[in-house]
Amino acid sequence: MVDFLSNYSIQKWLESCPQGYLQDTVYGHGPDQVEPQELLANDDYREQQIRTTVQLIAGERCALAASSGLVNAAPDQASKTFLATQTLDEGRHVEIFTRRLFDLGVKPDDLESTIKTYINPHLGKFAEVLLEKIDKKDFVAGVVGQNIVLEGMAFSVFEMLHAGAEASNPKFARTLSGTIADERRHVGFGENRIGELIRRYPDKKPEVQRMQRDMTKHMLATFHEAFSHNGAGAGRTSAAQNGASGPTYQGLNMAEASNEEMEGALSATVLKEFKTRLGRIGLEYQSPA
Amino acid sequence: MTGPDSPHDLGETEFRDTVRSFEFWFEAVEGYLHGRPYGVTPGLKEAELSERQRDGLITTLCNYCVGETAALDASSGMIGFAPDRGAKVFLATQVVDEGRHLEVLLHRLGQLGVTDPDAEIEQRANRSLLKFKERLLEFVDARDWEASVFAQNVILECLEFTVFRHHAGTADPITAEMLRGIVSDERRHMGFGENDLGRRLLIAPHTHDRLYRIKRELDSLVLDTFAETLGELGIEREERPDLAGDYMAAVARLGFRS
Repeated sequence: MVDFLSNYSIQKWLESCPQGYLQDTVYGHGPDQVEPQELLANDDYREQQIRTTVQLIAGERCALAASSGLVNAAPDQASKTFLATQTLDEGRHVEIFTRRLFDLGVKPDDLESTIKTYINPHLGKFAEVLLEKIDKKDFVAGVVGQNIVLEGMAFSVFEMLHAGAEASNPKFARTLSGTIADERRHVGFGENRIGELIRRYPDKKPEVQRMQRDMTKHMLATFHEAFSHNGAGAGRTSAAQNGASGPTYQGLNMAEASNEEMEGALSATVLKEFKTRLGRIGLEYQSPA
Repeated sequence: MTGPDSPHDLGETEFRDTVRSFEFWFEAVEGYLHGRPYGVTPGLKEAELSERQRDGLITTLCNYCVGETAALDASSGMIGFAPDRGAKVFLATQVVDEGRHLEVLLHRLGQLGVTDPDAEIEQRANRSLLKFKERLLEFVDARDWEASVFAQNVILECLEFTVFRHHAGTADPITAEMLRGIVSDERRHMGFGENDLGRRLLIAPHTHDRLYRIKRELDSLVLDTFAETLGELGIEREERPDLAGDYMAAVARLGFRS
């Protein structure tokens, strides 16, 4: 365990993240990169991007609260220091997505009201389930909820958004690629650290699996609401707005796929990831149905 | 992007947003951490220490670990009830700073031949410092923002700043360079405490009396900790620096006189 955890030290994090893939970025993107003019000039498209960004901020605020809350509950020094790096990663994500809202024209004084207007209520319930475990300082359930379920969901959503933005919005795509790299590290820690703890405390399994089932239920409701309320869809691109052929996600042309198809593709991707990752730590995926 | 040298050119709101951001933190730490794994320039030679000096240094570093663990647990716990986004992001940077301090101290203990740091820390921990940690975490558990910021970002940071700065002046080269990096972080943390509490005291001057009572309670623990630390470092009584005076002066600069 000690060898595995040494790969998650703050020194390694400093070298790979701030001094690595974030080098020469400002708020996660290139110093000269800006939001595309056609996005800023199109009110519907801009509003759709504001709505999407609000969900990212809400998710990251939950992750910040969860990872910082877990530091105190961590059973060993090495887990504490890893969670310290994760806390700062999540704080950075809150900062860069908040900054994106400002870039999309939201005034700083309107930040909280904008979040309140656009936040998906199911995402709030998803966060509540996780933060209840954090409040109880339940390290095993907290890490599964945070580093497997929440991060697993975020990872897939970011990949979908990245696919949609890669050609049409390089600034947002660059911001996302940094967060994806962070999430990959967080998920890796969750899988490695919790597998060992689940084996040591098998009696925790039913409770943790119940939490995963509840979080999954709220996550799927979040996706459903996001795609049904989001006009051209959360993962759409400016190409979709123009009717031009767009990028692909899970074999779907994002410019042409229906909202239902996009929702189905994202849900299937996340659930497949859950099953694989939960299996690796010795848990069985629990369907909310 | 505004660099760490220029935020004073900004207006108040923009200044606060800038100095509490990840971007500001990274530009600040990059200057003294880049190319220094575990806070030390590679190739720096280990000084010869007598057995007594080595043992004293181990005890001192073990106690620094107690202080840094307290700061790590407190700053991470405070994120959950910080009053705004900027404070949360700043505390996230402080969490990683405190985690790094703990990591470099443990790494140094390893270089000094300590194989079971947890056991050494438990055995060598100073009782006054443990009591301080307990009291700080009580404030955090009670979600008392003003008391937590005061105990953590004013008292504890002033204590560490004072001790580490003096110790860096007399320590072996490796320990000294490591401590200088830590001191640079502490300066930023104290600035946050000063700024946050300063603004609060302007709005609610009665808070001052409450914080003053907390200070009086914690001062005795801080002063006991100083006395023990200087003893562990083997500094003769007549040669000891006036840590208590320096600490009192640092806290007084923030508006809290004895």
